[in-house]
Order: sequence, then C-alpha cells, then structure tokens
Amino acid sequence: MKVKLWRRVFAASMSAAMLLGLTACGGSASTESSESSESSDGIKTFTMFIAMPGSEINDDNDIMNIIAEKTGAKLKETWLTGQTDAEAIGTIIAGGEYPDFINGGDAMMSLYDAGVLVPWDDYLEKYPNLKEMYTDEEWDKFRQDDGKIYWANVFQNTYGEDRATTHNDEAFWIQARVLEWAGYPEIKTLDQYFDLLESYADANPTMANGTKNIPYTALCEDWRYFCIENAPQFLDGYPNDGSVIVDTDTMQVVDYNTTPTAKRYFQKLNEEYQKGYVDVEFATQTYDEYIAKLSTGAVLGMCDQWWNFAYNVNDVFKQQGLDEQGCNYVPLGLTIDEGMENRWHNYADTLNNSSGVAVTTSCSDIDAAFKFMNDLLDQEIHDLRYWGVEGVDYLVDENGMYYRTEEMRMQCSDPAYQASHMCNYSYMPQWLGTSRDGKNAMQPDQQASEFLDSLSTPLQKLFEAYGVDSYVDLIGSVKEEPGPWFPMYSYSGSMTTETPGGVAWVKMGEVKHEWLPKVVMEPDFETTWNEYMTAYNAANPQDFLAEMQTELERRAGL
Amino acid sequence: MKNPSKRITWKEISRQKFLMVCAAIFFVYGIVFYYVPLAGWVMAFQNYKPKDGFFSQFVGLEKFKFLFSDEVFLRDIRNTLAMGVLNLVTTFLMAIIFAILLNEVRNMFGKKLVQTISYLPHFLSWIIVTGILHDALSSSGIVNELLVNLGILDSPINFFANPSYFWPIVAFANVWKETGWNAIVYLAAITSIDPSLYEAATLDGAGRWGKIWHVTLPGIKSTIMILLIMNVGNVLNAGFEVQYLLGNGLVKSVSETIDIYTLTWGISQNDYSLGTAAGIFKSVVAIILILGANWIAKRAGEDRLF
Repeated sequence: MKVKLWRRVFAASMSAAMLLGLTACGGSASTESSESSESSDGIKTFTMFIAMPGSEINDDNDIMNIIAEKTGAKLKETWLTGQTDAEAIGTIIAGGEYPDFINGGDAMMSLYDAGVLVPWDDYLEKYPNLKEMYTDEEWDKFRQDDGKIYWANVFQNTYGEDRATTHNDEAFWIQARVLEWAGYPEIKTLDQYFDLLESYADANPTMANGTKNIPYTALCEDWRYFCIENAPQFLDGYPNDGSVIVDTDTMQVVDYNTTPTAKRYFQKLNEEYQKGYVDVEFATQTYDEYIAKLSTGAVLGMCDQWWNFAYNVNDVFKQQGLDEQGCNYVPLGLTIDEGMENRWHNYADTLNNSSGVAVTTSCSDIDAAFKFMNDLLDQEIHDLRYWGVEGVDYLVDENGMYYRTEEMRMQCSDPAYQASHMCNYSYMPQWLGTSRDGKNAMQPDQQASEFLDSLSTPLQKLFEAYGVDSYVDLIGSVKEEPGPWFPMYSYSGSMTTETPGGVAWVKMGEVKHEWLPKVVMEPDFETTWNEYMTAYNAANPQDFLAEMQTELERRAGL
Repeated sequence: MKNPSKRITWKEISRQKFLMVCAAIFFVYGIVFYYVPLAGWVMAFQNYKPKDGFFSQFVGLEKFKFLFSDEVFLRDIRNTLAMGVLNLVTTFLMAIIFAILLNEVRNMFGKKLVQTISYLPHFLSWIIVTGILHDALSSSGIVNELLVNLGILDSPINFFANPSYFWPIVAFANVWKETGWNAIVYLAAITSIDPSLYEAATLDGAGRWGKIWHVTLPGIKSTIMILLIMNVGNVLNAGFEVQYLLGNGLVKSVSETIDIYTLTWGISQNDYSLGTAAGIFKSVVAIILILGANWIAKRAGEDRLF
C-alpha cells in the first residue's frame, strides 16, 4: 500500500515538473539571446532585431560567409512578424533580453528611455567609415537630451553624386498598361487619375488571364494606413512632413486631416467606392493580403510608398512575366487642382533622426560591433552586399562600369537565390549615391545604365513617350531643399505619452484608423464626415499641434 | 459522539510529514509565481520608467483617473464583457448539448470518430483559425461564393467591415474551436452516472428525451455548476488573439478588448503604469465575478468552489 502511494505521488510530481518545464520554455523562447558567440574559426556571430518585416537569409548564405571571412563577423537577423514595431520593442524591453544590434523603427525612444543603448560618441572617432556617414551638424541631430548619440539612421544617405532613379517616396501609382492604353496622357489631378482608372476598368474588366481588374485599393492596416491617411498633404503640394503640413509663408503647422483638400480627397474616394471602383476589401485587408493582391497584377492603382510594395511586388512581376504585360507601377505627381507644384519626391536626403541602428548594452564585445558596422561600409564589402560577387552577380566592362546580364537580373530577383546567395544586411549602415570609384552607383538600382536596361518593354515605351529617364523625372516634383525642420514626423515619431500632445497623437491615430475607412464606405458622406470630425476633435488635436509648433520653431531657429 | 480533534499537534504534523512536504512545494510555488509578482502592482501607482525601476516617481491614483476618463477604455470594458458573456453562453451551451447528443450515439465507432474530429480544432493556434476565417469570410471566400451562387445574396458582403457581425464571428470561432474539447469533461461526467438509473427510468416509461431530462442532466448538474463558476471568472478574459488578429480599423469600436488596450498603452506606448492599472482593474472584476457566482451557487444549494 505504502509503495503504491509513493509511486502515485512520484508520478504526480513528475507531471507537475513537466508542466513547469513546458511553461518555462514557452516564456523564454520569444527573444533571441544576446550572446554574441565566437565559433572555432574565430568568426563572431552578432544578433540583430529589426522592427520591420523582412526575409531571413539562409544560415549558409554565400555572401554572408564571404563577408565573415573578410571582416571576421557575421550577423543573424531577426525580423518583425505579426506585430507593430512599438509592440515588438515594448515586448523586448519588458522581457529584458536584448540582441547585440537593434533597429527599432519608430520605437527607438523607448529603448533610450530603458537605458539599454550604447553611446556612439567614442567609437565615431575610432571608426572613420561610421563618422563619414553624417556631417557634424547632422550627427548633432541624433543627440539625445543627455548630449550623446545612440543610433544612426541607415537610409536615404547619399555618398558623392546623387544617382536616384526610382522614386523612393510616396505617390499615386498607376500601372504602365493603363497609361499605354490611354495613349500616355498627362495626369495631373486626383480627378483625372480616377477618370482614367474608371475608363480603363470599364473597357478592360479583366486581365489577359481572366483575373478581374481592381481599379483602386488602399491599405489601412496598422501603421501602414498612411496609404489612405496622408495623401492630403501631398495633394496640397507639400512635402512629406508626415504628421503635419508646414506652411512656409507663416511658419505655422497645419493639420492636413481637416483641410478642405482632405475632405475633397475622401469625398472622391467615397464616390469611387460607391460606384464600385474601389476594392471592397480595402479596409479589412492585411499587409500580406495587399501584397498578394498587388502581385497578381490586377490592381491598377494605389497610393503608397515605393519601399512598401516595390521590393516584393516587382520581383514577382519579373518572375511571372507580368512586367512584360505592363503591370509595373509608375508614380504620378498628383495635386488636388491643376497647375499646382507638387513635392511628392524629396531630392535631398531625408534625415529621420528618430530611427536607426543601435548597439545594446547586452552586446559582449561592443568594440567589435562598431568595427563590424565600420567594415560593412568599406567599398569592397558594400559592393558585395549590394552588387554581389563579381563574375557571378555582375560583370565589369572595359570602363570599369558594373552591369548585369538579363540572366543575372532574373536570378537576383528570385527569392530562393536571394536567401541562399545575396546578403544585403539591409538595416545596417549603407550608402546611396556614387561609389568611391567615382563611376558606379553604390546600389544597382541606382546605376543609370543598369536601371534603363532592366526596364521591361512597356516601361521603356512609357519612358520614351513621356520623354523621361527615371521615375523621378516622371513625377516632376519641384526641386528644392526642404527647411531644417524637415521631416516633422521625426518629432511626432519620438513623442511619448508623457505629454498631452503625445497622448493626443495616439488618440488621433486611433480615431483615424476607425473613421477613415468608414468615411470612404458610408453612403452618406456628409453626415459621416461630420461625425468623424466630432470624434477627431474629441482627441484634442490642438495639444498635439501646439507641441509640433514649438518644435518647428525650435528647429527653424525662430 | 466525540468530535475529531481540530488541534494541530507536532505529533500530527510528524505523522503527516510526507504530505506536508508535498504541500509545501506547491505552497512555495504558489507564493513565488502567483503572489510575489503582485509586487509589480506598485507600478500602477507610479509613473514607471524602466530606467528608474522600483524607485519611479509616485503618482497615486493618477493612472486610474486617466483610465476611467478615457472613453476608449470604457468602451473596451463593454466589448470585453459583451464578448466574454457571449462566448461563455455559446461555448458552454454548445459543449453540454454536444456531449449529450454524442452520448446518445449508439454506434461506438461513429461516436469515437466524431469526438476525435470535434476536438481537433482545439489544438490549432488562433493565428491559424483566424487565417481560415479571414479567407473563408473574405468577399471572394467560400462563404460569399456559396451565398451568391445559391442566390441568397446579390453581391458578396465584406463580413469584417460591418461592426455588427464582429461579436457573432468571434463567438462562432470560439464555439468551433472549443466545443469538442469542452465536451470531454461532460462526457466523462455522463459516463459516471449509474446505469441502473437509466434502467429505472426506462421501467418508469421514460423515452430518450425523458432520460436526458431526468437522468443525464441532473447527473452532470454539479459538473456544470463548477465549470460555470470557474468560467464566469474568465469572462473578462474574452480573448486577445482573436480580436487582435481579426480586428481592423472599421470594427475597432467593437473589437478592442481590455487586453488590447493594455497592449497599446502598456507595451507599445511604454506606459507600464497604465497597463498595470488596467490589469489590476481586470483582476478585481474577475474576483468579484467569481465570488458572486459562488455566492449564487451557494444560495441555490448547489456544489460550489469554496
């Protein structure tokens, strides 16, 4: 009897222990361990979390190994999945385990507040390639309230001469086949844009393979709702300050959500929705569904940022041969009325000081981490990252210019090849513009010859018809340097709920998330718009605007 | 009659020392994992900053004031309660009905097969279930295709764009996922009913309905009561994943629960204090609900938790 009891108790405690073990595993598996490990061949492996969705590369990636041999280090990247950047970073802070490198999107301030970032100041003097990224004035913009630099933005940073060919900004995009069908008309206003989409969709209800054409869609998911939300600032001819318009005549911030242009824009979307030209699922689709939809080539137009769709969609178009059917998107510089200047394209570098790459205090060899970033900016390594291996991914002609054959381009657009061979380290320090050899572009899509040769036939015809050499020419924005306050979104991006303005900013976002799709879908536009405005004003936007105004005056030195 | 001694003596303790050790392990476990973390509640009364940790600035009831003056939070309480009650009632009823129906199946093979299939969805994670729902209910999904082809609808409806469909969709998802699993407990309870009761009922002329009503249901009544009390405490855990994954801007006003509110403010906005305050509120309501349900059960003369 006694033995039996013992046995029973033993079994019970074993199962309890197993349960405990299970829950413990569930709790700790979520974040990457921060231990940078050194393997037997002396190659360090750093970990990095990037608060943006991306594709992981294979562990035995060819170029990653070449870079590891040359620099003595490699990087294991982990990307955002199914969360917002703020949620992911918040979870990491709450968990208290950090990777060696972190690129926290708009949530860098939270990391700084948690006191887990390593200041760059000492290392900047030691590593010239890093120092070279920005001028002293620019570096000063990254300084936090304790006077130190904790991160550096890696994007939109041009070395030497600017080589921009793509419009890496927001625009109303339209498929080349629509413009070709209409005989390449000049499309200047929102009304003309939708007129064209309507008439094309009426004349061509389906694609060649029978898929039904979707004239217009708008992504509303989470932070990506800028696709529906911020067009009014551009339609009024202002640049992408992101959260407000800066009226340069009066030096006042203006709320683009409540301008007459905003109302006209949403009224237009509402009309088109009622007529059935706007995708019925626009408000409920997820980002993945949106990309899948665009990848079928059926969507004729949308408003979006180039980087939000092009890297996914263009590769699919090329692999599926849809680029030859004219499915590629080209940007249009629309305004609300005819004859206005547009500022969709920003010619200068945009210095978003609220986001960037940082080294955390969990990193066991901080000096090596900075050295690694420095090495990644060496021209040889930079070429490996973006051009690939000479002779395999690109060739060099007698003038020293890099180029790719059609076969190489096809290969480089194949996701499987990208995972096994290419290694961009795309959220680490990098350059745009001209290579240190003075001839080539830092990145292939900026190489003019490469850009023009890689264009599909419909795009080449379109460029010829409009007499332009690049997407930038096509959108035709005013060439001017924005003021020192630009972009204002770098301030709203770093606001916290400590201040009334920060609270208002969160609440305004919540209201807009709910009401913007509603405003487009409800049959009675006027009533819905008024209800929306009531809800919007209840979020106290004036608190937010007041803080933005103060910051504008600080930045403009008024 | 001599009352059994209630005094705890050393002799008694040493006689039970093995049981004492066993109990102590779980007692310590409970303290460490359930009560020590409650020290974190102090955050709700501070303006908590990860840098300052425990010594953050003390702000009293500031955070609670913010919560209850925020219409969004009040709306989220309503959503949580509504979905919680809806889920409770539907999954609870369905599980009992399903268990009873399954019990009436005479073919053993069919019974086992149905039971196995019915509890499989329990093992799917919510991300998969919501993915299936999103596909099935999209405007080109199977549900719309079916309704349009059968001539019930003229054009597809976007189920996720209409706030009035959201609660039923969530309730349906819960029922689909959990009915089979929850029914297992009732099936077990039914098997423990004395078969002679059924024989007696048959002799008394009871048909199938009569036996269900007069034997099966009373037989599992105490199980139903206990599970009901336990589930009532869970009403505020109306869910996080389903609403988070199925929600979108259009249905925000009905889809956001307290948990999502906690996530947006506590984690995304790094306001741990506010998140903790919302969490405390939830715990307090849950305790009140459990005590309330228990009290009602006691009044009704039924089995109860404590």
